[in-house]
Amino acid sequence: MRLADARALLPDLVTEAGEPQADLRLVEAIAGWCDRYTPWVAIDPTGGALAPDVETACSAGGFGGDAGLLLDVTGCTHLFGEGESGERALLADLVTRLSRRDLSCRAAMADTAGAAWALARFAERQADLFCPARGQRDALAALPVEGLRLEPPILETLLKLGLRRIGDLYPMPRGPLVRRFGDQLLRRVDQALGTLDEPIEPRRLPPAFRTRLAFAEPIGRAEDIAAATSRLLAALCRQFEQAGVGARQLEIALYRVDGSVDRTSIGTSRPNRDNPKLMKLFEERLGQLDAGFGVELMILSAPEVEAWSGTQDALPDQDSPGIASGMDGTIDLADRLALRLGAENVVRLLTRDSHLPERVQIAAPVSSSPAAEGAWRRIANLKNARPTRLLQRPELVEVTAFVPDDPPSMFRWRRHAHRIVRADGPERIADEWWRPRPDGSRPPAATLPPVRDYYRVEDDDGGRFWLFRDGPYQPAANGQPTARWFLHGFCA
Amino acid sequence: MPVISPNVFASPVSRAVAANDAAASVPATLREKVRRLERANSVQRSGRAASVKLGIPAIDSLLPEGGLLTGALHEIEAGPGPSGRVAPHDGAALGFAAHLLGRFGPGTILWCRRAAGPSDAMPYAPALSSWFEPARLLMVTARRDEDLFWAMEEGLRCPGIAAVLGETRASDPTAGRRLSLAAEKNGVPALLLRAQPGAPQSVCATRWRIVSAPSASTPGLTDVGAARWRVELRRNRFGTPSADEIPSWLLEWNDETHCLAVVPQALHGPAGARFEERLVG
Repeated sequence: MRLADARALLPDLVTEAGEPQADLRLVEAIAGWCDRYTPWVAIDPTGGALAPDVETACSAGGFGGDAGLLLDVTGCTHLFGEGESGERALLADLVTRLSRRDLSCRAAMADTAGAAWALARFAERQADLFCPARGQRDALAALPVEGLRLEPPILETLLKLGLRRIGDLYPMPRGPLVRRFGDQLLRRVDQALGTLDEPIEPRRLPPAFRTRLAFAEPIGRAEDIAAATSRLLAALCRQFEQAGVGARQLEIALYRVDGSVDRTSIGTSRPNRDNPKLMKLFEERLGQLDAGFGVELMILSAPEVEAWSGTQDALPDQDSPGIASGMDGTIDLADRLALRLGAENVVRLLTRDSHLPERVQIAAPVSSSPAAEGAWRRIANLKNARPTRLLQRPELVEVTAFVPDDPPSMFRWRRHAHRIVRADGPERIADEWWRPRPDGSRPPAATLPPVRDYYRVEDDDGGRFWLFRDGPYQPAANGQPTARWFLHGFCA
Repeated sequence: MPVISPNVFASPVSRAVAANDAAASVPATLREKVRRLERANSVQRSGRAASVKLGIPAIDSLLPEGGLLTGALHEIEAGPGPSGRVAPHDGAALGFAAHLLGRFGPGTILWCRRAAGPSDAMPYAPALSSWFEPARLLMVTARRDEDLFWAMEEGLRCPGIAAVLGETRASDPTAGRRLSLAAEKNGVPALLLRAQPGAPQSVCATRWRIVSAPSASTPGLTDVGAARWRVELRRNRFGTPSADEIPSWLLEWNDETHCLAVVPQALHGPAGARFEERLVG
């Protein structure tokens, strides 16, 4: 039915524009909240929730209200009770908490995702929503075939043939079914019944290391949260020790009573399982967390771990100075600085084999292995004197030169004229033809690579500069000077 | 291999005896006592040397403990040249700061800077390798001055750090005081490198002003010679007072022998110019 027809029938119909993005955000928020039950949460790909716009959402068969979540609660139900009662308690808890937030939902539990999907949508009685272990064959028999997540054409044909219940398909011979409908129908039936495995792809990859702490009463004070973090961290560090790993990244999630989740994470430059040091990093971050009306559950997880190198922090190595060893607290300092200033702002300098001055020095993360001893000295010895400061981007200068190929007698930079008294050079540095240009193209083979002629000059003030001429001098064509001059650095 | 000045090998005891002989007067001993009280044995606790020689006897003799104090804040500022202009980026003050950093013991050097966008001029490691191994550098870029001072203070507290350098134009007396105390407590030197002469801070132990000076060309040519700096010691707390109000030296950095030395007076005065003319003659 089109909107115009609907309005003709019901003039005071209230309409709202569809917002698939906002719907998806809500579904994602609910999925994030469901992490409290299991780390293995996926947004149902067959519903309309993941559709990018209204049209695809409608054609996917559902929109907004049809969004679904799949939770794999294997091994998580014991937190709510023993055996089947725990499973029932988890389901009841999920529904109660969601409906308390004015979200209408139907949740079903079964051995397979397919069976739970069908039960949640088509079960007629409330009691049918919980399917006991290995009971999906009987539970599904009475449900309509729409519960099998089939393509609309297959569904239409099934209905035309009078196959309305899933149970009608059980006695059918498999061969003719495949010939008539392709493999999708039987695959869906097998997935629902559990004879074919259907993995759930989680929204967030569940971390291998994870500890949780639930509170009887919601907590809100910063000291309480810090104390809880420290307890969680101690438990997690014990897990690390047993597994022989250290954390590269840790994430703490606060599940607040109003259903929202606040997350923050810390990163380290090397595998770390030192409880006090990690706690120190967390202290920096805990201030940014907002407890809201109170926190009822905290989960600390390690999304990224690395094998522990087996070194002991207690024995500093006097013979290997520098951050290479990382024993002397420098790595921890770097982590602390990176946490507040951003990881890209705490770097060490590495060498790169290149002739171009600006490419020689690269900033690398602290976790990378440092330049070899003497590598810089070797580079410095290969070349002529280098400036102590290098401009990130060479700046264009106006020059006056008596002889075109000579160093200039005067240059003007940032509106100041510098009269040149002494000059050294040129040192010719050619572009690296084997490397693609910044725009990705390769220079044609026949042309010579662009060259720069570097001069070290000293002005009448005693200031020493590093200038270069962009290419050799050529007679001016149509009034345009062919070689430009740039200032690239400042010498000691 | 850096060439080490011979007086590095002079034993500290003989130096102390010589100092006692020279300044046996009461004010000198009192000054010494006050200084010891003020510095509160901090350096001895951390097991580092109390001071580090610059390798230039003329300067070292003026400094307390015969060298640059390790547990103190030192300021290095770029001064205006003869034309009164200060360059936006100065290579000479950075060279002098790198020379000082190279004298401080093994360990990581924490270098904190302000982010300055595309017109920024980063320290260039191939040149810094004349003074110390750039693999020892940990570079930190801060967006605000508060973050920069915080990072410096954190670095001073870290046992693996040999020296901390902060490059900023801001002069905050409170931050200077905090840095000074942190440096003193941990025996780690803190250097502040200023691209422009800032407001004088009262807390630093020494303040240096570095101006790049014309170098000496090969006679008859106009090539750029070894780097020369006019170095002024504008503040010298705990140090020996000198005859001049602001002691100043013309230093030359020899990149081949890795040696920083005072240029003999005869070679840079008017007489020096005449001397060179005669050579050219």
